[in-house]
Amino acid sequence: MLKVQTLTKVFNKGTINEKKALDNLSLELAPGDFVTVIGSNGAGKSSLMNAIAGVFLPDSGEIIIDGVNITKWPSHKRAELVSRVFQDPLSGTAASMTIEENLIMAIRRGQSRRLRWALNNKNRDYFRRELARLGLGLEGRLTTKVKLLSGGQRQALTLLMATLQEPKLLLLDEHTAALDPKTAEVVLELTCEVANKSKLTTLMITHNLEQALTVGNRTIMMHEGRIILDIRGAERSNMTISRLLDMFEKASGVHINNDRMILAGTR
Amino acid sequence: MLSLKLAVGTLELGLMYSIMVLGVYLTFRILNYADLSVDGSFTLGAATAATLIYQGFNPWLASATAFIVGCVAGMFTGVFHTKFKITALLSGILTMTALWSVNLRIMGKANISLLKIRTIFTDFTGLPGMEQYGALVLSIITVVIIGILIYLFLNTELGLALRATGDNEIMIRSLGVNTDLMKVLGLALSNGLVAFAGSYIAQYQQFADASMGVGMIVAGLASVIIGEVLIGTSSIGRTIIAVICGGVIYRAIIAIVLQLGLEPTDLRLLTALIVLIALVAPNISSKLVAFKGAITRKEDQYAKSTNSN
Repeated sequence: MLKVQTLTKVFNKGTINEKKALDNLSLELAPGDFVTVIGSNGAGKSSLMNAIAGVFLPDSGEIIIDGVNITKWPSHKRAELVSRVFQDPLSGTAASMTIEENLIMAIRRGQSRRLRWALNNKNRDYFRRELARLGLGLEGRLTTKVKLLSGGQRQALTLLMATLQEPKLLLLDEHTAALDPKTAEVVLELTCEVANKSKLTTLMITHNLEQALTVGNRTIMMHEGRIILDIRGAERSNMTISRLLDMFEKASGVHINNDRMILAGTR
Repeated sequence: MLSLKLAVGTLELGLMYSIMVLGVYLTFRILNYADLSVDGSFTLGAATAATLIYQGFNPWLASATAFIVGCVAGMFTGVFHTKFKITALLSGILTMTALWSVNLRIMGKANISLLKIRTIFTDFTGLPGMEQYGALVLSIITVVIIGILIYLFLNTELGLALRATGDNEIMIRSLGVNTDLMKVLGLALSNGLVAFAGSYIAQYQQFADASMGVGMIVAGLASVIIGEVLIGTSSIGRTIIAVICGGVIYRAIIAIVLQLGLEPTDLRLLTALIVLIALVAPNISSKLVAFKGAITRKEDQYAKSTNSN
């Protein structure tokens, strides 16, 4: 499904701020895999997603989706295969446009935009049904401007937009981190539901270690641009958070000094 | 205060200028891009149309040609910005500066007179029943058609992608839209409309001048803001109407202050003031409300304390 081969990216090469974001990283995902990605800040999790989504081109290595080599594709072209939900709830929707306008733009993800009237009543019925699944009461507010929605509502809408037109690969970049705990839970549940229903191949970054082990079918841990742990099946279901932290220390050779990760583990 | 003739003339001019204001609206509000090439492309439209008409070209086709060359000018600004990564303001300034020379080349001299030459207005006023208000009717028809076309366009798939490009570029790119292309498209349409307005004004005033576009962008911004403040922006349709009215109201303000005895040379200062006031007014009015609230509360307290005594 997704095949990342010996991907390397160095930022600010040759300067004092040189940073190896991705270091010879290889990763292979089977169709329907739901992989959670953990690692301390600066481990390269977001860089991996940015590379897959085409935010920057890698220095070396290849990215292949469904047999198609997309390494050199511009980001807007990758949209036909990859969809993405960002951490910031504001970045996934157009604030000055209505809910239905945002949805109709998402439904044509990766396709050409033509000089054709965008919205019709058939679309609207479909949107109402899909919005009703969110359980947030948005189905009655199709013509509301998105800027009037809460962060949680906007993130739920973004998730719906990302999956309305089924992508080959769904990238979730800490998409619940900026939400309050209750909304975060709703959005996460929704994520699992959508991913299960369509057997979407998904890559989800999280800082919550418990979430990392319970959501999805596989967990990878990153450190300094490499994957240092890759668990699934029985090994994963027997894993505890404290053992995960131990393994991190052993594999990376450093003590965990990241407050955020420890906090996430003990919560 | 205004004679009927002057009022009709102001309305005609205002409607023609609002074609330009619609162009400015496309970049300034839809694309969120302050495009200074407008000053040059307005003159470009006027110069192109006037030159062609002077050489005996069909005036309707000359106006259409003005639209097309305006689009090309906008594309240059768009390419400077998206491909060469030059900032929005500087891209516009470069095009505007270059157009100054281009416009003089097109005209071959600093101005062209169209007196006693066939224009779209002489054609139209020649129609039966149009002797008196021909120019007014023609400008109304033009503005209404352009307004409807823009409304329809902004509701197409392409139009939505254009609006989203100005609203949230990261988001619409992640949905597979080439935002660079959208910016070039928006700038092209905008400058096309501005040049089209220039061709109308040149034919209406029966001359084209190399410096007739100077200050056009600020006038355009002032008109957009005036319209939005007075009429509102709750939907796209309403905003388009607001922008058209803004263009007319701006011209009316200019006509009135000139009647009151202001020198034409003071107009730029006035325009800058209008934009300044319009930009600052929302802040001031909210502060004013808060201030009034505080005063009335104090008065209430005072009234209560004196009553209890």
